[in-house]
Amino acid sequence: MTARFSSLLLSRRRLLAATSVAAAIALTAVTGLSSARSAGAAPNGGNITFLIDSLGGTWIPNNSSISSFQGHIWGHVTDKLVYVDADGKVSPWIAESWEQSSDATQFTLHLKKGVTFSDGTPLDAAAVVANLDIWYAGRKNEGINPVGLFPKTYDRAEAVDATTVKVVFKAPTLGFIPTLGYHGSILISPKSIAQPAAQQADLSKTSGSGPYVVASWKEGDFVKLVKRKDYNWGPAAVGHTGPAYLDSITYKIVSEPSLRVAAVQSGQADVAYSPSPQELKSLKDAGFTTATPRYLGFVNGLAVNTKLEPYNDVKVRQALQAAINRKEIIDTVYTPDWKLATSFIQSNVPGATDHSDLLAYNPARAEKLLDEAGWTKGTGGIRAKDGKQLTLTLYSNPYLATAKAIDELIAQQLGKIGWKVTIRAYDVVTFGEKVRFGGPGVAAYEVTRSFIDAGTVASILTNANNGEDWFALGDSDKKLNDLRDRIAGASSAEIRNPLLDELQTYVLEQGYFIPRTQIVQRIYVQSPKLKGEVYNGVAYASYYTATISE
Amino acid sequence: MNNAYLSYAAKRLAQALVVILLAYVFTFVVVSILPGDPITNVLRDPQNGFTEDEIRQIIAAQGLDQPIPIQLWTSLSHFVTGDFGLSMRSNRPVTTLIAEVLPSTMILASAGFAVALLLAVTIAYGTQFVPKRFGQGLLRGFPSLFLSVPNFVIGLVLIHTFGFQLGLFRVIDPNSFWATFFAAIALGIPISAQIAEVLIANLDHESAQEYAAVARGRGLGQARLFAKHLLKPSSLPVITIVALTIGELLGGSLITETVFGRTGIGSLVQRSVSTQDLPVLQAVVSLAAVVFVLVNLIADLVYPLLDPRVKLIGGVKHRPTTAQDSSAGATQAAAS
Repeated sequence: MTARFSSLLLSRRRLLAATSVAAAIALTAVTGLSSARSAGAAPNGGNITFLIDSLGGTWIPNNSSISSFQGHIWGHVTDKLVYVDADGKVSPWIAESWEQSSDATQFTLHLKKGVTFSDGTPLDAAAVVANLDIWYAGRKNEGINPVGLFPKTYDRAEAVDATTVKVVFKAPTLGFIPTLGYHGSILISPKSIAQPAAQQADLSKTSGSGPYVVASWKEGDFVKLVKRKDYNWGPAAVGHTGPAYLDSITYKIVSEPSLRVAAVQSGQADVAYSPSPQELKSLKDAGFTTATPRYLGFVNGLAVNTKLEPYNDVKVRQALQAAINRKEIIDTVYTPDWKLATSFIQSNVPGATDHSDLLAYNPARAEKLLDEAGWTKGTGGIRAKDGKQLTLTLYSNPYLATAKAIDELIAQQLGKIGWKVTIRAYDVVTFGEKVRFGGPGVAAYEVTRSFIDAGTVASILTNANNGEDWFALGDSDKKLNDLRDRIAGASSAEIRNPLLDELQTYVLEQGYFIPRTQIVQRIYVQSPKLKGEVYNGVAYASYYTATISE
Repeated sequence: MNNAYLSYAAKRLAQALVVILLAYVFTFVVVSILPGDPITNVLRDPQNGFTEDEIRQIIAAQGLDQPIPIQLWTSLSHFVTGDFGLSMRSNRPVTTLIAEVLPSTMILASAGFAVALLLAVTIAYGTQFVPKRFGQGLLRGFPSLFLSVPNFVIGLVLIHTFGFQLGLFRVIDPNSFWATFFAAIALGIPISAQIAEVLIANLDHESAQEYAAVARGRGLGQARLFAKHLLKPSSLPVITIVALTIGELLGGSLITETVFGRTGIGSLVQRSVSTQDLPVLQAVVSLAAVVFVLVNLIADLVYPLLDPRVKLIGGVKHRPTTAQDSSAGATQAAAS
């Protein structure tokens, strides 16, 4: 069934390519003429349509914060306390400035004056406290979740005066300020927060202070945003603070990827989200803008379960690290827009350091390590030890369209040195059940994850503080535990960065994490008429600063 | 309207209600015992960072920690009063969600049905009166051709040709007239096949009857013969097929809506299945059951009125196989 379906898609793609070339030629001819004519016109006004594959589950602001889809809407409808750019640089937004105590347990935020939510409520210290409280605690018995990434060390926040908020933590929380720029930390009107869950789930009943407001929406269909004329508090980092230029942005769901792209090619829409990576080159050649922003977070890679044989042997893990040809993955599955992994965190994360030497493709070294570990080549070129074959099962990540193609390539690469690799592909629910949380029998679990602050990394890797214990090490690795504690307790970036560097070296050397490529989860194809969009630290496109020519 | 008819109608109505109830219980049980728990799955996403205790509280707030029979009872008692509760996925009232999407599906389904009927009658007419050497055989092949091409393929071809190339409609505006028109064609084509098959078979049967030969002998024109004499008797079995195609229409609209970017019951089902959103699925399946049962009920109730030869024995209808041996049908029914 799948095979038949994909062959259909293939031939359809070919058909589409032919039609799109014709459409693109016509379109470039038209835009070439009109852009020359409209040069010098005021950048104000215009409406755009953004085609997306889904708009996620619920619109309860807290609950929807982790979805990769609603972030597009919230990014225009709400503001954040701080702005985090694509390089992880934190700058003022609604919080104009802030101070922190030397032990990073107390923070004071100074808010911009005169900011209001679209329902007229002022965005003052009381509103910020209401938001911090619900991010931390949610209202679980009503079905309103806490914001998962919000620091669990939160103690309380208080309004010192109308524009000053004091936030107190139970333990050093160096990552607090950057976390305020994450897509979950959106400021919502206290009136909206006070509503019950069913009301909050109605997008039109939730007010933010952002440059756009929701004009109309229909679940599973579209969301139409119109600009707020009195908006005057944009983040200085994007070079514009007044009202947005575009009059309206309409997000429309079109679940067929080829239709999204074809609609942009034929001029029916302005942006197509999530096209297939292989289409990007021809689109770019045809004059369309393509964007592959990376988010701050972990790279795409495998977390190895060190409890399972033979992956409890460091030499086997190191062999795995050396036997993967990462360059070939980018050349075969992706385009040059994708970057080689240089660590297990993305290279744009502050504190990430270059460890390419540890990730070099070296099949000879891998074979030597496996020989040393006692895994010798037997019948059919497959390595074995004590009558057992050297095997690895890869479970393709259902969230990443290219995961299976990469797994197939890795299976070939490992096969060359005697590894027997099988690939399993599950749907999202089964994947979660059997692989993600299922755990103990899974030797390697594919990870992709965004975060804002590298300080959170160490606790995720171990089981400290309800951590996720990615490598099933528990508390057994003394060196990892020590690094984790020192990173968590660090009160400044100067102290923390060398520790982070050490952590990256250690995890890669031990073969705990096997990076594949840096991750691009959000891909955009855009009409050449639309210009000036900005991608933030979580790779969402903001059209607040964008303009469109006729 | 006699007593036999009334008791037949009452029995059919009672049957219909039982079917709806069973459909409800069946959906509930199936979704409940499916492997994989989408709610905990989302909550346990490490990115959410919930503790086990928090997950328990959220589950309890939804009443999902209760045993399945109790959950079923609660859900059923709400259902009887027309309350479908809140969607697990979006937290919005299920009735609101359905009310939002229902009109669009109704329009598409009725337009698709109209296309199917028109196509079927045209093809069937052709098979009777287009001479063999001008492609009658080809026409007879149409129904199987229509059935074998998946409707998403038809949809994509229509969108690319008429939407993108000719610019007749925009995919971002799927409720416009032309977009609806082409979606209805994509939906109607496979459905027309089944109606056409039955219609052709019956036309073949009727036109071989004596009365048709007599009519032809008296020099009656083809179109008049078709419309006045052949169509009515050939259409009776079509009513049954039409009632059955309601299911196809609902299933087909799921795919058509997805391809054309229309928001309707189909896309709602698709989203709810992928997240195992039980309250929504429950409501949609019940609604589908109601529509399906209702249409079949109407077909069954209308049938005896249209065809007086149909005997109502013990609340069951029996249609004689041919006009000549209606007594055989009755004997058969009495024996069974």
